[in-house]
Amino acid sequence: MELLEPEILLQMLINGLLAGALYALLAGGLNLIFGVMRVINIAHAEFMLIGAFGAYVLFNVFGLHPLFSLLIIVPIIFVVGYYFQRVLIERVVDRPMLTSLLATYGVSIILINVGLLIFSSDFKSVPVLQGSFLIGDLAVSKPRAVAGLVSLVLSVGVYLFLDRTRLGKAVRAVSEHAQVAQICGIDVRQIRMLTFGMAAAMAGAAGVMLSIIYSFWPGSGVDFIQKCFAIIIIGGMGNFVGALYGGILLGVVESFVGGFISTQWAEAVAYLLLVTVLLVRPTGLKGVARA
Amino acid sequence: MKEPLLTVHDMEVSYGAVQVLFGVSLEVRAGEIVCIIGPNGAGKSTVIKAVIGLVPAQKGQVEFDGQPITNSPAHEIPALGITYVPQGRIVFAQMTVADNLEMGAFLKRDSHKRREAVQAVFDQFPRLYERRNQPAGKLSGGEQQMLAIGRALMMNPRLVILDEPSLGLSPKYVDLIYEKLLDLKRQGRTLLMVEQNAARALELSDRGYALELGHNRFADTGAKLLANEDVRRMYLGGA
Repeated sequence: MELLEPEILLQMLINGLLAGALYALLAGGLNLIFGVMRVINIAHAEFMLIGAFGAYVLFNVFGLHPLFSLLIIVPIIFVVGYYFQRVLIERVVDRPMLTSLLATYGVSIILINVGLLIFSSDFKSVPVLQGSFLIGDLAVSKPRAVAGLVSLVLSVGVYLFLDRTRLGKAVRAVSEHAQVAQICGIDVRQIRMLTFGMAAAMAGAAGVMLSIIYSFWPGSGVDFIQKCFAIIIIGGMGNFVGALYGGILLGVVESFVGGFISTQWAEAVAYLLLVTVLLVRPTGLKGVARA
Repeated sequence: MKEPLLTVHDMEVSYGAVQVLFGVSLEVRAGEIVCIIGPNGAGKSTVIKAVIGLVPAQKGQVEFDGQPITNSPAHEIPALGITYVPQGRIVFAQMTVADNLEMGAFLKRDSHKRREAVQAVFDQFPRLYERRNQPAGKLSGGEQQMLAIGRALMMNPRLVILDEPSLGLSPKYVDLIYEKLLDLKRQGRTLLMVEQNAARALELSDRGYALELGHNRFADTGAKLLANEDVRRMYLGGA
């Protein structure tokens, strides 16, 4: 069977890795928020779409290439996320989880409808890159390659920040034990603001990258947030690195299922993968059991 | 007599509708080891949590080095020179030993100063140095307690507050921890601790306070409390 030829398998693998890198960037932010404040941000994919529509506007009004838009959009969404935490999330962070779920769900509905008012329900796209990179017998779509690689670089950047820097370690400390972090002199409220800002910026960057590979409309967030939920459970709730693994795993498996069976099945893959991982490792790939 | 380093005056604390402290007072002078003993529910841990800002005091004053610090936010306390070793030797389990220590000096912005402080703790606790790159969750209970104490030394504090430092440790590590506490005293630090293991704590302490249901009950030198018949009956299991 032709599908089993090594070139085709490799092609599927590369496509899957590139798509997975985008998932990883998006889900990484969601998991960071969950890790630090035990809040599931339902509006996370809408922050992604702010990035996507931002790239769309900057491209159509100023002719700006999305790779440049990234430099404008990411800092803006960081600031938006930072104050969003202060104004809204900080008020619900120590409440029962239902409160924050409802609050962020409300934000998601508001953002979707504002998006519909401004941009209508037509699909938009930012067609800046066309064609493919040819590497031997392999053809990798240029927009996918760029989006995947940029996402990967950003995720690794965030990982290094969390792993190496004083503030990044403080984020991890708060996520492990907020009270003990506090008595170390860490201002937990400030860390939460930083975390939400970073997570929103990651989602926004994922949105800019999304804009060059997919068409999108204000309601596109739903598909992505559902995949993100699956990814963070697969990777381990609250574990940033787990979300990166989970995102890449989902991208690769979707790609193979799309190639061997049908792209329609690829939609169901996230949940099949979820169930499989939970059967083998109930805490997720990188998860730690919590009391 | 020296001015007290820490004074707690007439402190009242409630958790919701339940009042736990009904006007507790105590003082700690520079260079002393002071322990608070009492049965479960006496409010021992609550006193120190209120001192370091982890629970709000409804009434009463806390003074450190002559300055009022009542209800200061917990993250501002280490900068004053007070650090805390939490009950249950809580470390950041997924972070390395070295990173755990570094977090103890979070307030030092200069990375060289943080590294120097980490090195100073490694000098005192060679075992932690051996395991510096391992996740703290992989350490034994005693090693985790060493790490929690080491973390509390990173800011070079004048007062170290310990909540049940020997709880759940093997006898070997209890000895080791108590030895370390004496070392800290010899270095000129002041210690305030809460202990379930009252006899052991009083032997080590200059002075002790015995609490009962959120009230001061006895206050004296460690030795006198140990010799007191009532204290022995009520707090030391009648031994």
